[in-house]
Amino acid sequence: MVVIAIPSIGKGGLNDDMNPRFGRCASFTFVELEDKEIKAVKTVPNHAADAMGGAGVQATQIIGNNNAEVVIVGFLGPNAANGLNALNIKILHAPNKKMTINEVVNLYIEDKLPELSSANVAPHHGMGGGRGMGGGNRGR
Amino acid sequence: MTGIKPKTICITGGKGGTGKTLCAVNIAVMFKNEGYNVLLIDGDVENPNTYLLLNGELENKREVPFFMPKIDEDKCSRCGICAQNCTNHAFLYIDDSIPILMSSLCSGCKLCYKICPEKAIEADFKTLGWIYSTEIHGLTLFVGELKPAEARSAGIVEALLENLKNIIKNKPNKFDVIILDTAPGAHCDVELLIEMADVSIPITEPTRFGKLDLKRIMELINLLEKDCKVIVNRSSLLGFRDQFLDELQKESIEILGDIPMDADIVDSYCQGTPIMDNNSGYDINGAGFIAFTNIFENLKKWINLNE
Repeated sequence: MVVIAIPSIGKGGLNDDMNPRFGRCASFTFVELEDKEIKAVKTVPNHAADAMGGAGVQATQIIGNNNAEVVIVGFLGPNAANGLNALNIKILHAPNKKMTINEVVNLYIEDKLPELSSANVAPHHGMGGGRGMGGGNRGR
Repeated sequence: MTGIKPKTICITGGKGGTGKTLCAVNIAVMFKNEGYNVLLIDGDVENPNTYLLLNGELENKREVPFFMPKIDEDKCSRCGICAQNCTNHAFLYIDDSIPILMSSLCSGCKLCYKICPEKAIEADFKTLGWIYSTEIHGLTLFVGELKPAEARSAGIVEALLENLKNIIKNKPNKFDVIILDTAPGAHCDVELLIEMADVSIPITEPTRFGKLDLKRIMELINLLEKDCKVIVNRSSLLGFRDQFLDELQKESIEILGDIPMDADIVDSYCQGTPIMDNNSGYDINGAGFIAFTNIFENLKKWINLNE
């Protein structure tokens, strides 16, 4: 048995689209697999989606608290990557195109997703326009 | 010159490369020439280079420590209160586990250290950077240096200012004049130094970039309710001098003086011998030398050292 987590565009679920953003996705879809078959699907809203900062860490907490062993991402920032690595959660990289959660799960089952060991974007990458912390984190 | 609080002058400017350090060093040297005891503080902690213009070395290195929480795993009850209250989300907390510190997010605020019900958080420290103190060309120089890849530069500026406040408190007559040289920009490192000073001198240049960044830094200086007068460096650049000075005057920006392009200044910059130093040997009738002399006379009239 394995639980995989996938960031989702809307409310989550197999028919929702995957969200390429991790820390600031709207929700996470957790899919429980056994012998390459889907046993259960659960969705959890991401309360960190609009956080000023630390979204990656908070999203990682959601992944950890829901016992996922694998997370599939598009873009992943450094704090999320460090957090997932600290929790020994396997990070897989999905192709950079529009896909449903179901399609992503199928790619996982077919073992077609490469592993990612570190961040592939800078902090605050997934933030909406003009809301970054700015100033190179000069805040005191 | 005893019993008078030292005058503190902040050299700043918004834009990078306008000549802040050049002006800071030469103004410091001109006060020194007249027998004043001068302290120069390099607050551009990401790129401290004042000592190069004085052909000196950095000495008396001291570490600037930065608080980091360290969890005593035997004492930790895994309650997660530290993580839930950390505004920077610097703890990764999974239910019933020991929180994991994400050190790059920690602001060093010590809240977790204070609120942990088990007193399981110890005060640990990392090196944020260093401060140096040295004597060069008859000046006392303090320099702050942020450790590369560290982000919280204001911590170094605060360490420099703490040093300064201790001196003013314990030896109020040690210095007559204090010159603060800031980083470019209008962020909190710069704000701390402007706040500390009696007056500010933004250095600009006669370009659109110079004017835009000048306006930004003047906004900050006005917010802090400090007096300021501008120096226009490289004022002969492309023949815009008169037009640029006119524009500033129309906006009621006071001008302390302007410095034209001058080969002696460039030479002094490269040699690490301040052009205005008594022993520099540069032509006292040169355009740069005259410009600095005029600026210094205007400055002394403005700040009135004997007050």
